[in-house]
Amino acid sequence: MSTVLEKFKKYRKPGYYDKFDYHWTMSIDLDRCTGCEACVVACQAENNLPIVGEQQFAMRREMKWIRIERYWEGEYPNIKLQFIPMLCQQCDQAPCEIACPVFATYHNQDGLNTQVYNRCIGTRTCAVYCPYEVRFFNWFTYEWDEPLEQQLNPDVTVREKGVMEKCTFCIQRIRQAKDAAKDDGRRRVRDGEVTPACVQSCPTEAMVFGDLNDPDSRVSKMARNPRGYHVLEELNTTPSIVYLKRVHTDG
Amino acid sequence: MSNKINRRDFLKFVGAGTIGAGAGFLAADVSKMSTEFLIPQVNLPEDYSPGIATWYNTVCTLCSAGCGISVRIREGRAKKIEGNRSHPVNQGKLCAVGQAGLNVLYNPDRIKTPLLRDGERGSGSFRPIGWDEALTTISGVLGTLKIQKKANNAYLLSGAVSGHLNDLFALFMDQLGSQNYLQHEFSYPASLYAANKACFDEDVLPYYDIRNSKYLLSFGADYLGAWLSPVHHGVSYGHLRQGTGQRGRCVQIEPRMSLSGANADEWIAARPGSEGMLALAMAHSIVEQGLYAGADAGDWQQALAAYSPASVAGPSGISAARIVRIATEFAAASPSLAIGGGAAGASTNGTANLVAVNVLNFIGGNIGEAGGILFNPASTFSIDAPRPRAGYQEMLKLFASLSGDDAEVLILHDTNPVFTLPSSANVAAAVMAVPYVIGMSSFMDETMALADIILPLDTYLEVWGDSIPDPGVGFAVASIAQPVVKRLYDTRSAGDIILALAHQIGGELPANMPWTSMENYIMEMWRAVYQGKSNDSSDHGFRKFWLSILESGVWGERSPQQARPRQAMSQAMLSAVHMTQPSFAGNESEYRFVMQPYLSLAFQDGRGANLPWLQELPDPLTSVVYNSWVELNPKTAAELAIHEGDVLLIESTVGSLEAPAFIYQAIRPDVVAMPIGQGHGNYGRYASGRGSNPIEILAPETDIDSGGLAWSATRVKISKTGRRVHVIKTDGTTRDLGRNILGPGHGHA
Amino acid sequence: MSISVLEALAHFKKPVLVLFAGLAGFVGGIWVNGTYFGDASPVQPIEFSHRIHAGENEIPCQYCHVYAARTPVAGVPSVEKCMGCHRSVAIDKPEIIKVAQYYADHEPIPWIKVYDVPDFVHFTHKRHIQAGLECRECHGPVATMDRITRQQPLRMPWCVDCHTKKEVVNGRDCWTCHK
Repeated sequence: MSTVLEKFKKYRKPGYYDKFDYHWTMSIDLDRCTGCEACVVACQAENNLPIVGEQQFAMRREMKWIRIERYWEGEYPNIKLQFIPMLCQQCDQAPCEIACPVFATYHNQDGLNTQVYNRCIGTRTCAVYCPYEVRFFNWFTYEWDEPLEQQLNPDVTVREKGVMEKCTFCIQRIRQAKDAAKDDGRRRVRDGEVTPACVQSCPTEAMVFGDLNDPDSRVSKMARNPRGYHVLEELNTTPSIVYLKRVHTDG
Repeated sequence: MSNKINRRDFLKFVGAGTIGAGAGFLAADVSKMSTEFLIPQVNLPEDYSPGIATWYNTVCTLCSAGCGISVRIREGRAKKIEGNRSHPVNQGKLCAVGQAGLNVLYNPDRIKTPLLRDGERGSGSFRPIGWDEALTTISGVLGTLKIQKKANNAYLLSGAVSGHLNDLFALFMDQLGSQNYLQHEFSYPASLYAANKACFDEDVLPYYDIRNSKYLLSFGADYLGAWLSPVHHGVSYGHLRQGTGQRGRCVQIEPRMSLSGANADEWIAARPGSEGMLALAMAHSIVEQGLYAGADAGDWQQALAAYSPASVAGPSGISAARIVRIATEFAAASPSLAIGGGAAGASTNGTANLVAVNVLNFIGGNIGEAGGILFNPASTFSIDAPRPRAGYQEMLKLFASLSGDDAEVLILHDTNPVFTLPSSANVAAAVMAVPYVIGMSSFMDETMALADIILPLDTYLEVWGDSIPDPGVGFAVASIAQPVVKRLYDTRSAGDIILALAHQIGGELPANMPWTSMENYIMEMWRAVYQGKSNDSSDHGFRKFWLSILESGVWGERSPQQARPRQAMSQAMLSAVHMTQPSFAGNESEYRFVMQPYLSLAFQDGRGANLPWLQELPDPLTSVVYNSWVELNPKTAAELAIHEGDVLLIESTVGSLEAPAFIYQAIRPDVVAMPIGQGHGNYGRYASGRGSNPIEILAPETDIDSGGLAWSATRVKISKTGRRVHVIKTDGTTRDLGRNILGPGHGHA
Repeated sequence: MSISVLEALAHFKKPVLVLFAGLAGFVGGIWVNGTYFGDASPVQPIEFSHRIHAGENEIPCQYCHVYAARTPVAGVPSVEKCMGCHRSVAIDKPEIIKVAQYYADHEPIPWIKVYDVPDFVHFTHKRHIQAGLECRECHGPVATMDRITRQQPLRMPWCVDCHTKKEVVNGRDCWTCHK
């Protein structure tokens, strides 16, 4: 059986990402993930996600760049529940990028699928094209009850009405790490120097983040794990998130 | 051609263009950004660079686990809370609640000045007053009691506090002349302390070494959700699963699948209250199979004779073969670990259940072993005051005395017993019966609303203090809390208030409590710690020590595990082991279901409900937000024709409440469950008026050995009200439906 | 091209053309306001003269704007820093008396921002100075100005032009500057 990394290399355009400096990738080990949702609040705090309120939540307009999905198997009493964190998969061949009429979402040189708020005109086509349902639309300009706005992260834009948004792999942290590397006189960021908020918070260390172009990085090693797979692999979106299947024992 | 432009048209174009230009100019003017200012510092702080974040270490006190936290500060404001990497409890990680701590600090519903009652008691009407007036009034009242030698009629009821603030409270009450200092916390595992006292003669909890275990058998303890130290357990769980080449196995025994149950390899839905019997049956099986190595195997055979797997199968609902299989696996795995808590400890036989779990650990040879139960050293840290945390019986005693004629003053610190105790305890009436009630809290809540005077507290990010995690991590650990931001409002820390009161009351108090502030007090206490540990009595040496702890956020000292004589422990265990059948309030024929309230991951005992991030955090098992719900087995629901969202009337022998139904796949058909946390009446804009509080309808059953509230011992009946609401949740379908979302070849829908 | 546009326009009805004219005027109006009527030289609470400090006295920029090379923000000097010199220098001048008053009242001086980048832009002085840019390349001949006048519109084309000319690594990626 080929590992997900080998499949990944087969499907993507040869050489395309290799010439880039980095290829940011995340691995999520479902055998470690407990569904505790520390990552969800970490993301909320880091990325200035608004509180949409009960009414908007009921209309499924919640803003959660990362969420925990649950899947049941079997029936009582032989029932199992499994969690899977779902966030932007930073696909190399991203359906959302094809969808956008104004090129507000595009692929950058770090292998990131990015969203430019200033360009976005809010057609919401990308959200429709996204098979992972991880794009979120600002139906309103959300307010923060005073003084909650004092918490807002100055490194991240507060989005306004009419703009689509999604996980950025905490690009502000990547930028910071690159900046620190430059100050050190290094051309490259070392493995482990960038941790997105969710990865940082994860108690079980289910998530690992790093550069797939570096074969010795922790995340590259995880991607070579035989348990690795991509969600909805058959769509050939070649995501940058490698999930590691949960280990099942009988019982 | 008609499109030829004549003079009239030209003028029209020019006109339109001019009007457009004018409008555009004005529009630009209106939408111009307002003037931005460039505000310099007057004096430059030492550790400040604009645009650069500084991280300060302190301690999280949102639950009792005592995780170390690092707070990111930019331009004097707290931006993010992360775990402190060098803290042994959480090792750089932090749970959802801990990270939502910024919502505590910047909560719009904080009490901003001292408040004086302005209207009927309990009407919730207050007017702001100054600190001088507030402290003078209170010290007057307490001083008078002291002079009249009636200070024992003053009571201090606090939420869980650890470290030297606890000492300070104890000292203050003692100096005042009162014996009545109690701590109350709903989630305080009274039965666990009692069981460990009976088996190991320890006052502090041992360290459950999940990290190095290969077989984790949990009897109702939701170690990943709400039990003791969830972040530490999470770190350990990751290691147990994938940290070594050999994957550890997890088995969970509980009537309603918790977060830990969902992550276990095997979930066993035993009858509530039968956990201890199961543990004894497994111990029985291990001894019978000759897998117990001790010389007194005969004694154990005798002691466990009544708990053969065959005899326990009936009352627990678990087949004898399954019990034997788990027992065999448990004995074979090395090291293995059994833990117990949650509902198992909150039955009427709670302590007996947890003693049985300890027995299973002993028979399995896990005590004092890495990957099993390790003992925390006797505190090398000079904390004298015991932790006077009260079980339910003691709380009832307290309320009886409060309702009596003698009670004069009640001081409430950071606790909300009106919400966290059953309505049958009549907490509100007892509080109302006290002539003078002083509240200390950062937030208005159901209990504070009954006070005569309220002193607004700093939040935990604005105070000096220290904390000792309990359970520890196998060696001595303590951390210092320091303010990470300037205080936002005219608030003070509880320690500063107590010290100010001591000075104003006078007498011998100022001499015996000479500290000028909480900062000074904590520093002096740590100076004593330092001097007790090193021969250096110089101020310079202490400063270095102090600053190093502030910087790292933690102090620790490793000491070798003390070996315990096996024989003596075996004897203690043999005499401790006992079992009674669990009893429930309400007869089974009328009240068909056992009610399982459980601590919500986000709100704990309800204290987190005023944090907006947590209100919008989907429950990990149901994905529901913003409301309460009652969980029913699909079979039960089908039988009663109940669908999701049907508002149900839940009746116990002592009360009733309404909540919408949620069909939960993993719960026994004879059990219904409900999360604790919602149902606040007066707890700020985010919490008030949402859902219902299951604690309210709990019958006043207690664990017979420890006197703790047996919150798993109430039976209820349910009926449809006919109304239906939309249960707000993030989940769509929760079946894989062949999409292989969980990996190729995983789901079979 | 222009002919074809005119031809295309000829196919529209006249009211539509009038509307076009109005729209064109609207956009033009916005541009004129932004370009010629932006307050590029606001009056400051203290009549501070860069000409005297940086010009006549030749104080280096980073003596006061200490953070420029080290952090994203250049920083304005603390009031304490002003007083460092003006405790003894020119203490009788009316503007200095104002500064001393601010210091005595423990109040910051509410300087008005001349160079203000929008909140969605990540700009760091540190990187630009470390790349060898002189302050005047963006801020102009500050040493000759009494009151600072903004020299650049701080619009995106200006940023991108320079990034392109200087071949900045990833200098044209949106997320290099946007946040």
